[in-house]
Amino acid sequence: MIMRAEDDRSQNLPVPELTLWHFLSWCLGRRSRLRVVNRSMLPVLQPGDEVLIDPRAYGDCLPQVGDRVVALHPHQPGLRIIKCIAAVRDSECFLVGENPAQSSDSRSFGWVQVDLLQGKVVCRFGRGQV
Amino acid sequence: MGSPSGIQPVYKASLEMLNLKTLNSLEMLNSLATLVKTHFPAAAVSAHCDGPCGVYDPASARVTAEAVLSMTKKILALVPPAAGDVAAQVAYQNTMSRYVAVKEEQAQKTKEDLLILWTDYFKPVHLEKYPDLHDTFWKAAKLCSACKVEVSLQHAEELMAAVENIHTIFWATKEREVAFVKAS
Repeated sequence: MIMRAEDDRSQNLPVPELTLWHFLSWCLGRRSRLRVVNRSMLPVLQPGDEVLIDPRAYGDCLPQVGDRVVALHPHQPGLRIIKCIAAVRDSECFLVGENPAQSSDSRSFGWVQVDLLQGKVVCRFGRGQV
Repeated sequence: MGSPSGIQPVYKASLEMLNLKTLNSLEMLNSLATLVKTHFPAAAVSAHCDGPCGVYDPASARVTAEAVLSMTKKILALVPPAAGDVAAQVAYQNTMSRYVAVKEEQAQKTKEDLLILWTDYFKPVHLEKYPDLHDTFWKAAKLCSACKVEVSLQHAEELMAAVENIHTIFWATKEREVAFVKAS
């Protein structure tokens, strides 16, 4: 069964702002902090923006269409990428950037195994670039 | 259901205070996070794009392959001067050297442009649809080398045909029909 987003993106919805819960979770080591480089997530995330991810988000539940996730690139070992889930089938996700004109994603490298997901983006960390 | 007089304003004021406190807390939290972010940048995660511009086009390979074909024709058409005419010999050698240099350079550029398309643009999903993709690029790259080593009209024309084939595959992957227009 394939679940698919209507426009293959999370419709450029903003990433939630930092909350006390996520901040404390980060302090306790239950969230990871990552800095965005490159431009495939514009206009939602700019290069230099930081986000918190929940590495345990998919321990008990499956990835959902519209989730923003950090995954390992299927063909470039060690490269972590941040994308949106546009579709889910069995144990695979179709990942796309918010900015398709400047994104290398599942349109080129194909479906990504859920095992390669490293976490779900839960919020921004601090203010974006001014 | 109505509230007893006096309670509602107190409740409203409390809510406003709570909102204000929440707002202030979030502001503080964000300021703290921004401070951490500024002084201790996090590890990078790539909002990945292959090139800074994401622009690929086999047109550049077409132009250089066309130059290779043109130079090959010019070299083959260049008539050597009579044996005793020193000035004509010098002019001939100079022109021939220039033609060969340009052919060499343009064949190398063609090879580089093709390799970029092959290794950077084309992905495994394309290979599923075009199973002979690797063979196509490998043979095209070999033709570039042959055009450098030899002065072969046949190989130069085969290189053009290979580039046209790649052009067709490339635009098919983008679901666009783009004519293969030659400059000469």
